[in-house]
Parts: sequence; C-alpha cells; structure tokens
Amino acid sequence: MIDLTPRKLLLLDHYADGEEARHFSLRIDKPLAGDLAVIPGQFFMLTVPGFGEAPFTYLSLPDQQGRFNALVRRMGALTQGLFEQPVGAVLGYRGPFGKGWPLFFCAHRVLVVAGGCGLVPLAGVIDEASQHRLPLQLSVIYGARHSAAQVLGRERERWRQTLRFMETCDEAKPLERQGSPLDHFDELFAAEAPEAVLCCGPEALMLATAEASLQRGIAAHKIWLSLERRMHCADGLCGHCYLGTEYVCKDGPTYRYDRYLQVRGAGYPTATKQDQRLC
Amino acid sequence: MQAYSLDQPERLRAHLALQHHVYEVRGDGQGGQHWELVSARDFTAFEPAAEPPPFSAKSFFFAERELLFRFDGGQFYSTLPAVEPQVLFGLHACDLQAVAYQDRFFAEDPHYQARRQATLLVGVDCLHSCEGGFCSIVGSGPAVREQRADLILVPRQDHATDWLLLVASEAGHAALRGLRLPEATADWQAERSANQVCVAEEQGPQQEIVDGIVSLNAGKIDAETWEALGLRCLGCSGCTTECPTCSCYAPQDRLNAPASMQRERVWDSCLYQGFQQEASGHNPSATPGQRVQRFWSHKFGDGFKAQFEAYGCVGCGRCDRVCPGGIGVHGVMQRVVHHD
Repeated sequence: MIDLTPRKLLLLDHYADGEEARHFSLRIDKPLAGDLAVIPGQFFMLTVPGFGEAPFTYLSLPDQQGRFNALVRRMGALTQGLFEQPVGAVLGYRGPFGKGWPLFFCAHRVLVVAGGCGLVPLAGVIDEASQHRLPLQLSVIYGARHSAAQVLGRERERWRQTLRFMETCDEAKPLERQGSPLDHFDELFAAEAPEAVLCCGPEALMLATAEASLQRGIAAHKIWLSLERRMHCADGLCGHCYLGTEYVCKDGPTYRYDRYLQVRGAGYPTATKQDQRLC
Repeated sequence: MQAYSLDQPERLRAHLALQHHVYEVRGDGQGGQHWELVSARDFTAFEPAAEPPPFSAKSFFFAERELLFRFDGGQFYSTLPAVEPQVLFGLHACDLQAVAYQDRFFAEDPHYQARRQATLLVGVDCLHSCEGGFCSIVGSGPAVREQRADLILVPRQDHATDWLLLVASEAGHAALRGLRLPEATADWQAERSANQVCVAEEQGPQQEIVDGIVSLNAGKIDAETWEALGLRCLGCSGCTTECPTCSCYAPQDRLNAPASMQRERVWDSCLYQGFQQEASGHNPSATPGQRVQRFWSHKFGDGFKAQFEAYGCVGCGRCDRVCPGGIGVHGVMQRVVHHD
C-alpha cells in the first residue's frame, strides 16, 4: 500500500543561490534503506506544514545520515512558506519517486542541455561524471535568462574545472555567451558530435533541443528529457500529472524522446526493434 | 454460481442488516434519490430504480473529503478511516463495473481499500434499459457480471412471484449463513440471457457511440472540434463528480493551531482550468478543448482499456443528464460523428 503521510525532514541550513533561489540542506529523520537508493533525476515530495506539498528534485543524493541538498526557487505560496521557515524547522518528506536519468547507457560522449532551474535535476549526473564515476565524456551547456538568474554557483565553479561547461544567457553581458543553448549547437556538434543528449528545462526548450538533436543525426532513443508537471500524490493516483495514458510522477519524469512522443500521442511511428536498443 | 429462489428481497436485506450497515438508494418523494441506511426492521419494498441514481457507489470507497494525516508540529500521524462492515444493496451492473474499475485503480490506496474490503456488494440485473444508458454497448451490463458483486438479485420477466438470488463470491456465500432458501428451479441462465437481449434491443445500435470511439482512437477528431466542444464546457465538474469512474483528487492543508495542521484530499476535476497548471504558470492543458479531449480519451481511449480491461465509461448516461452544456456522452459523440 502507498503511504500518503510524510516522514520528518529537518531543515539544516540554506544559502542564496541565484535570483529568488535558495540552496537548502535537509536531513531525513531516521533514514531507511530506500532513502539511500536514489538515482539522479528522481524526485521527492516536500511538505511545508500548512502550505502543502510539492515535488522537488534531489540536488545531491541522501547520505547515510539522510542528509541531502535541494535547490528551490520562490514561485508560489508553498515555496514562499518554505523560505520563511527557520533553520531547524520540521518539514515533511516522501520519496524517492519516479524514474531517474539513464546511467548505464553505452554512449560515451554525452551532451547535457539545461535551462534555468533545469540544471538541478541533472546535477547528480554531472557530479558523477565530473568525479569520473561514470564512463562518460560529458559536455554541458547551461542557459539562463541572465547571469543573476543562474543557479548552482558553487557547483558550476567546481564543474568548470573538470568538464566542458558552457554557459549562455538570453540577456548577456559583455564577454558572456548570448542566446539560448540551441544557438550554440553548431559549435558544440562541430567540436565533437555527442552520441546522446540529456535535457532539462522549460518544456519548449526541451522539445526544441530534441528536434535540433534529431536534425543533427542523434536518434530519438538517445535523447532524454525530464518533464515538469504539477504533482500532488507521486503515486499515479491524483491525476494531475497525466501525459496520455501515463502519469509523469510514476512513468517519468525522465522520458526517452521516442517514448515521450509515443505517450503524448503525437503519431510518432512505432519504434522499430533496432530503435529500441539503448546502445 | 449457486442460485436460490428468494421470495422477498426485503428478507435478504433484513438478514444482511443484522451484521452490516446496509445502504440502499431511496426516493425522497420530491424527485430526489439518496443512499440511505436501512435497518433490519425496515421492510419497505425493495424497488430497483429504473434510472441510475444521481450518485453512484463511488463515495462509499473514494470519499469526497478524506483526512490523510495530522501533524502536531513535531511528528506526522497517519489516519485511516474507521470502517464497519457494510452492504451496498441493489447496485446496477454499470455501477458495479465502475467499482471494479476503481478497485484496480486504487489497488494500493489504503483509504479506499479499508472501506472496500469491509463492503459486501449486492447487485441487481436490469430487465429494461434506463433512458440514456448504453451498458450493452460498452459491455458493463445489464446483467451483473460474476466477479463484480458478491450476491446478484435477478428480477423475473414473467409473472413469477419470487426473485432469483445468485451467489457470486465466498463472501456472498458466508453472508447468507442462517438464511434458509430453496434452490432455484428456473433456468436462470436462459432468463438472464433473454434479459440481456431485451435491454440490448431497447438500447439499439447506438451507432454514434460506436463510431465516436473509433474516431477518437484513430485520432480523427481534430483540435478545432475539441475546442468547439470545449466552448460548451463550463468547468462545473458535474460530469467528473457524477461519473462513477472519475478519481482525480487534490490535497488541502488545514491549519488547526499555530503549529499543527492536517491534510485532507478532496475530489478534483480534470476539467478545471488550473488542474495541470504548474507554479511557473506553464499549463500543459491550457485550453478547454484540451481538457475536454482528456476527459473523453480517459473514458474511451484504447490505451486505458488495455490497462483496465474495460473502458472508463460504463454507459450509465449520468454525464448526459448533468452537463449544462449538452456535452455529456451522447452530446459529444453526436457532434464528433455528425459534425453538428
């Protein structure tokens, strides 16, 4: 049976990290075995008592003591309520939920495309690759509206040391790259064409990225997206996050692009046996 | 199935009421129909309604408002409903099909299952079609299917004075203990088959429903048609409230004292404008047409049928009766097929 009751989560610390965004350190009280089996790209449900419950992604995965990090941008009543909580506050936790990023695919050269807060669900994969725990050669392009809106300042500084990490802003200052990540695709693909693409950001950016990747010869089954949807239960019951016959909270939020098209009912041709291979 | 001859369904109802809370739909004398608690001493005649009651059995298991947990400022405490053994007496085949559909959907929901597992279902076959029903088209009725109820009442077409009582489960068998009933001598299978033929004839071919389902699944209904239908949707949630298979819900937090709160869940509707809207403002189903399309795809989509082995529509016709915009099932299918 599912359990809709949260467990205790403690707010350990926080610091400002981008426009209207905060980096939170949290600790699951009495962590269970399942709490340590989180895959980057999965999500948890955070209860701010009195303000409701909403899905957030793991910025770092829970350790033996149940400590992990999350990045939250102030958008509505719940996040406003969270920003008002003092250090030590008791919050609620349920998770992990959903499907994470693929970690065992054979592609060697992987391009990560992130937009805005979409960098956060990808942080676990980037961290693993930058510490050489995944056999991947990762390139990252991160787009934001402007430099003040960029998140994960400390993590980006670390990643720049070990990865090809490109940043671009819609409203760029002198010496900054300008435009959306897509504006730099020619350059990225000319240097060393990736074999697979992982993308997270606004849905329009993800769909445009997928199409641009297809045009450059990457098959749909080597493109992955992570969808944002309103979610209330994370158990495929409340109905809010539907996508075709699926619920993004259970069947996503990470989708292979061919699967996404199939589920969305876009009339995409059924994948052939060859297309279904992961490598 | 074991079959008995039952002189009076009221005798069965009174017997069940000795050990269960028995609920039955009754008219209020003013045109309304409501689920009411019936005592063991109540011998009011059992008269199955000719039309499905406005409210199906849905709320008995999936409560319209439900407490999920309490928080006292330091700890979270689960709450499960306190359940008593209960009987729903006289459910039509269409509504029993809906219960079976929701049993699968809520298989892992402890609140739903707590109530469901304490419930005995007594179905009743329909001898005639209700006005807007099409159970024979979607395969939900008019005869109650074996796995859908614990006990099945079969009224007689001829002038026989008794009813037939079929035992459809172990729980049904156990519930009859202490009630002495003679075995049925009538050819009840033949009678039920004849009833089904009669209802199917009364309902007719319902070609617009059949053709509409085909069009919907073939992707032949264009966005313009859905938006035209969407214009007629007031977002009132009448259809989703009355539909016996609709199951969407939303959480509501309620502050009790400065540091304590409780969370409830309440019925929600995919036809509300903000149903899918995210905190960022992005709304994957921003137009009324998209939301109306979603509702009907959920009821008649082959993808859902593959998951649940049945359509999400059980053919009860409640949406036709409740929709102020005239886009209940017949209204939609007529417009889709005939481009009205």
